[in-house]
Amino acid sequence: MKFKNFPRHFIPFFALICRLTLAIIFFYAGIEKIVHPGDFAVAIYNYQLLPDFAINLLAIFLPCLEVIIALSLVSDIYTRGAALFSALLFLTFATALTINLVRGLDISCGCFGASSGNISWFYLARDLSLFCISVFILIYDCGWRYFFV
Amino acid sequence: MTQNNFSQKLYPAFRESIIILAVALFIAVVFNSFRSNNIPLFGFSSAALIKEQQAKIPSITLSEAHDLYLNNKVIFIDARDPFSFEEGHIAGAINIYPDEASLQAASLKIKVDQGFSFITYCDGPQCPLSKETAYALILRGIPTVKIFVNGWSIWSKAGYPISKGKK
Repeated sequence: MKFKNFPRHFIPFFALICRLTLAIIFFYAGIEKIVHPGDFAVAIYNYQLLPDFAINLLAIFLPCLEVIIALSLVSDIYTRGAALFSALLFLTFATALTINLVRGLDISCGCFGASSGNISWFYLARDLSLFCISVFILIYDCGWRYFFV
Repeated sequence: MTQNNFSQKLYPAFRESIIILAVALFIAVVFNSFRSNNIPLFGFSSAALIKEQQAKIPSITLSEAHDLYLNNKVIFIDARDPFSFEEGHIAGAINIYPDEASLQAASLKIKVDQGFSFITYCDGPQCPLSKETAYALILRGIPTVKIFVNGWSIWSKAGYPISKGKK
């Protein structure tokens, strides 16, 4: 295996770093939630945005989706789809956080399972940054093929 | 980047994201059905959860409530409706119905910083209002809340200080 274009072109190289960073974040967040699905369901309920019937379904589905997005980003299979989903997820998280920060609720973020800290404007800024990174990957990522022959 | 180029990337992304969605949903449902600590797909009960969380809030006896009242480091919160509050309440109490907790939380947080704790009460051993107000305040970041079960009846029968009117 030979290197090509590595790391001469800054934007594809930066997109690669972003993609791998996002994959690590999603993998860690997903695994933490998969281990304790009941606790994550309570964290979702505390946001007071969803009806009861949707809470467990989301608590089961979302962690699995996060892990699959992480695997997709690392393996470069359906990377654009994963980046698009990632952007939509972070936009949704940011909206949910904003609503509850405005409401004044002092609840656990649930971002990385039950051990997460309470919601704050810092978490909102973090989610918006990760949203921007996801959009950047969607537009500029060139995949592993760009670097390896 | 031209608009055409961006569209060329976006349309496949939509198709790929639908595939990811379907795969994640399938794996999630199958994995949940086989794991040992699984949860029912549609079985979440917020009523049961609220009851469980409210049961964890500590309660307080008449003598403890009176001692704290004399120490002047506690604020009584009357969780009944405003009309019952005006007819009579524990002297110095404020009226916070459960739905109003979000409006009052900011001013109560200042009191927390000053070292005050809070006791919610209503009337009757089965009255849920004191628990609901206490739970709503805890959700809004006020940790030092206790419940005085059947507080109004017990306090007034003991002959301890009461007030009438809006204050």
